[in-house]
Amino acid sequence: MLFKTKFLSLSRTLLMMFLFSFISNMATQTQGGELTKSYYDIVAVALIAVVLLIMFGFLYFGLGEEIKREKKFALGFQKVKGYIVGLKPIEKENDIMFDHAYDDIRELDNKIPPWFNYLFYGSIIFSIFYMINYHILSSGDVQATEYKEELQFAEMQRIELVKSGALLDENTLTALKDAAAIKSGKEIFLKNCTVCHTESGAGLVGPNLTDDYWIHGGGIKDIYRVIKEGVPNKGMISWNQQLNPRQIQEVSSFILTLRGTNPSNPKAPEGVLYVQQDSLKGM
Amino acid sequence: MELEKFSYDNKIVKNFAIATLIWGVVGMLVGLIIATQLFYPALNLNIPWLTFGRIRPLHTNAVIFAFVGNAIFMGIYYSLQRLCKARMFSDLLSNIHFWGWQLIIVAAAITLPLGITTSKEYAELEWPIDIAITLVWVAFGINMIGTIIKRRESHMYVAIWFYIATWVTVAVLHIVNSIELPVSFLKSYPIYAGVQDALVQWWYGHNAVAFFLTTPYLGMMYYYLPKAANRPVYSYRLSILHFWSLIFLYIWAGPHHLLYSALPDWVQSLGTVFSIMLIAPSWGGMINGLLTLRGAWDKVRTNPILKFMVVAVTAYGMATFEGPMLSLKNVNAIAHFTDWIIAHVHVGALGWNGFLTFGILYWLFPRIYNTALYSKKLANMHFWLGTLGIVFYALSMWWSGITQSLMWKEFSPLGTLQYPNFLETVLQIIPMYIIRATGGLLYFTGICLGVYNIVKTAKQGKFSANENTEAPALIKSSLHSEKESKHRWLEKKPIQFALLSLVVISIGGIVEFIPTFLIKSNIPTIASVRPYTPLELEGRDLYIREACNSCHSQLVRPFRSETERYGEYSKAGEYVYEHPFLWGSKRTGPDLWREGKKYPNSWHYYHMENPSSMSPKSIMPSYPWLIENKLDYSDLESKIITLRKLGVPYSADYENLAKDELEKQAKQIAIDLQRNGIAADGTEEIIALIAYLQRLGTDIKLNELTEKK
Repeated sequence: MLFKTKFLSLSRTLLMMFLFSFISNMATQTQGGELTKSYYDIVAVALIAVVLLIMFGFLYFGLGEEIKREKKFALGFQKVKGYIVGLKPIEKENDIMFDHAYDDIRELDNKIPPWFNYLFYGSIIFSIFYMINYHILSSGDVQATEYKEELQFAEMQRIELVKSGALLDENTLTALKDAAAIKSGKEIFLKNCTVCHTESGAGLVGPNLTDDYWIHGGGIKDIYRVIKEGVPNKGMISWNQQLNPRQIQEVSSFILTLRGTNPSNPKAPEGVLYVQQDSLKGM
Repeated sequence: MELEKFSYDNKIVKNFAIATLIWGVVGMLVGLIIATQLFYPALNLNIPWLTFGRIRPLHTNAVIFAFVGNAIFMGIYYSLQRLCKARMFSDLLSNIHFWGWQLIIVAAAITLPLGITTSKEYAELEWPIDIAITLVWVAFGINMIGTIIKRRESHMYVAIWFYIATWVTVAVLHIVNSIELPVSFLKSYPIYAGVQDALVQWWYGHNAVAFFLTTPYLGMMYYYLPKAANRPVYSYRLSILHFWSLIFLYIWAGPHHLLYSALPDWVQSLGTVFSIMLIAPSWGGMINGLLTLRGAWDKVRTNPILKFMVVAVTAYGMATFEGPMLSLKNVNAIAHFTDWIIAHVHVGALGWNGFLTFGILYWLFPRIYNTALYSKKLANMHFWLGTLGIVFYALSMWWSGITQSLMWKEFSPLGTLQYPNFLETVLQIIPMYIIRATGGLLYFTGICLGVYNIVKTAKQGKFSANENTEAPALIKSSLHSEKESKHRWLEKKPIQFALLSLVVISIGGIVEFIPTFLIKSNIPTIASVRPYTPLELEGRDLYIREACNSCHSQLVRPFRSETERYGEYSKAGEYVYEHPFLWGSKRTGPDLWREGKKYPNSWHYYHMENPSSMSPKSIMPSYPWLIENKLDYSDLESKIITLRKLGVPYSADYENLAKDELEKQAKQIAIDLQRNGIAADGTEEIIALIAYLQRLGTDIKLNELTEKK
């Protein structure tokens, strides 16, 4: 008995830990962004799961020897239940017992529960409609079409953003000077760039960012373009999908501030001497 | 009527039962180790054969084929003799079956950690072992059918129908999926490539679940559940309906593992609808089991054996509902490649297979040892530990799967990925990995208690190796009596029954395979797709050896969130020379199909040497041995010849040039690495792997470039 209480309290503690980590996980999850389309899919699945649980409940508690309890209900309910569940009362099961037995296992000749048949026919009808919908009428989208539509929708959104000014015009790009933007640029740099360029910008796999030599030009627009498009041959990846225009502008601006910081262990200069003009003379 | 005296062979049952317990403990322990490695990667101790990729297949094989496999044979050998009122057909075959199967398991336990693998999930074993499996399976089949033929019972009980269908279908699945051309004693390439290989593999993979983890267990449920509850089976008609519909429909459902892949749309849709139609037939088994307990629910409260069985059947019902839901395209788009699938299979494996096995073991041991169970209390404890373990496991993996998938798909208001760094989505779910391992530990503790309880039970009892019994001989009446239904007649004819099952299970595969293999439009070819160079080919075989596909997919699905993250989505024609396909089924790490040319060679070198140097906090293990080992390409000639036989267009005599080509390409990569300060001379294994990774998915990029020009 003592053991049982101990065991129960242990499992309760574990369960609490479990729930707690779920909630904390959920909290971090919901911080960013709006609810996506897939969110509603999950709600739908959850609803189906609830229906499923109710059906299980039906199976476990609605059947069997507890029939007596249901005398309280009106007769109509019994009738409906007959159409759905279709069980023969257990007292009468000898009427439908087969003569044969296998190693003492007997078999009953119960009817197949009506709800089971509805479910089976229903799933077959669903399947026929599904195939007709996608592959004969082609009214459902096969994956390539679905993808095309998704891209069209995204393009529409992008156009809206450019109109509203939320996306940058790269032709009139300037280096940011305010401390908040530089700080944010530094954070982006530390998170994404240090693996190849090191924390100080002295270079490792990637080139030194603190000297005056640049392979692809050292102006704000040059740096912006290299970050955005990458230099795949040399291993600089494109960050276009990972950073938004503002973020690229911020990190480019931060990189300009590294110039002349003379860190330890610098990588040898690569590229050509670049005379900073546009960025410093405040375009 | 004269009674014939004979005896049941309990020794073979006992052997299989002991093997079940031993392999169960081993398989689950390996599972626990790899679950822990996911949040504590250093647990591989930098030893190649303890690394996740190599021992994950060891876990799946040990649990499926060693634990569940031996449990099936234990369950069948005990029940079949009694349902047929006959001793097994041949004691010699029984023993060949038992020892042969154990040898195969040992061979698997040695070869898989050594990296000897075909890479095809649940069919990783190399060709000599595949042949051994076929031989042992034939021995089992002769023994089983022989026993049924010499039975003393006029009809075959429903359990036996399931046993027959299991045997027939597993034979077909194993042979068709394992057709491969040997390169050397321990290396082969499958005859199928790319999309076709994927289709065959998941036809196999899905039906390994159906006919190894489901049908034999339903057969066992039909014997042990009524026995343990002492109640008649609920409905004979339902047995017939759900048996035939289940085996007919199941075989079609394989393509639901390949939704949104490069597989033709119509095959994918077949996978979806046949999965939906499977709900009712699967539930037929569940309700026939649960309703058999009518009038015995009071016993369920007190009897641990029935508790195990009820939870097993319920888990079966939940998993077979969840499965069809996961086959719907919109749900699959969220769940595929995530931990949700891991939750799904473990509800089935831990709940349905594990718990039914434990129920049967607790029922069976006292009977063959003529005693009572040593401790009911311990068995109850085992039940609660196991149940709690399953709850922890399933809930944490559901949660982690959905969380990660939503993070993969989320876009920022400015239209870029909200979580562009894949690693961020991994770090988010590490707490769930810890909870999962805790669940696994609880379940594992349970089975250890079970082993103790069963050993104690055996010690206090007296084993009867041959159980004497008697039964009247069967009076042969082949005439179809008027009163009997056609199905009753079929129940007397094991051979006809087996043949009919063979026909029923063949239809689905034939309808899906033949058009995919023969009609060109199903796999549009792409001119720029070329075979791998010799070095890339060797690199690919290293990728297979380390089972990188355990954690990395090579299939970009046509979703904006994936094409933004990885690149253009996968086309069927890109995979025509992929023997075997390496699409993978789980993204513990990012997809690699468009990995080629994304990072410099030096990045890959550093990353393989120590992943967290390039991706801080990465949970990928280090692969220092790829740098230490020299590339062994002694089989290269034979590999080129074999692949040419399989239709890969290497020019005649290419095998003679291959070594030079390989060394030339290796040298180039080595020079590039040296330029970046890495001391590599081009003979290391890692050079080949880098060459392969840099090639991945780039053929079609070239194509686009030439088109633009």
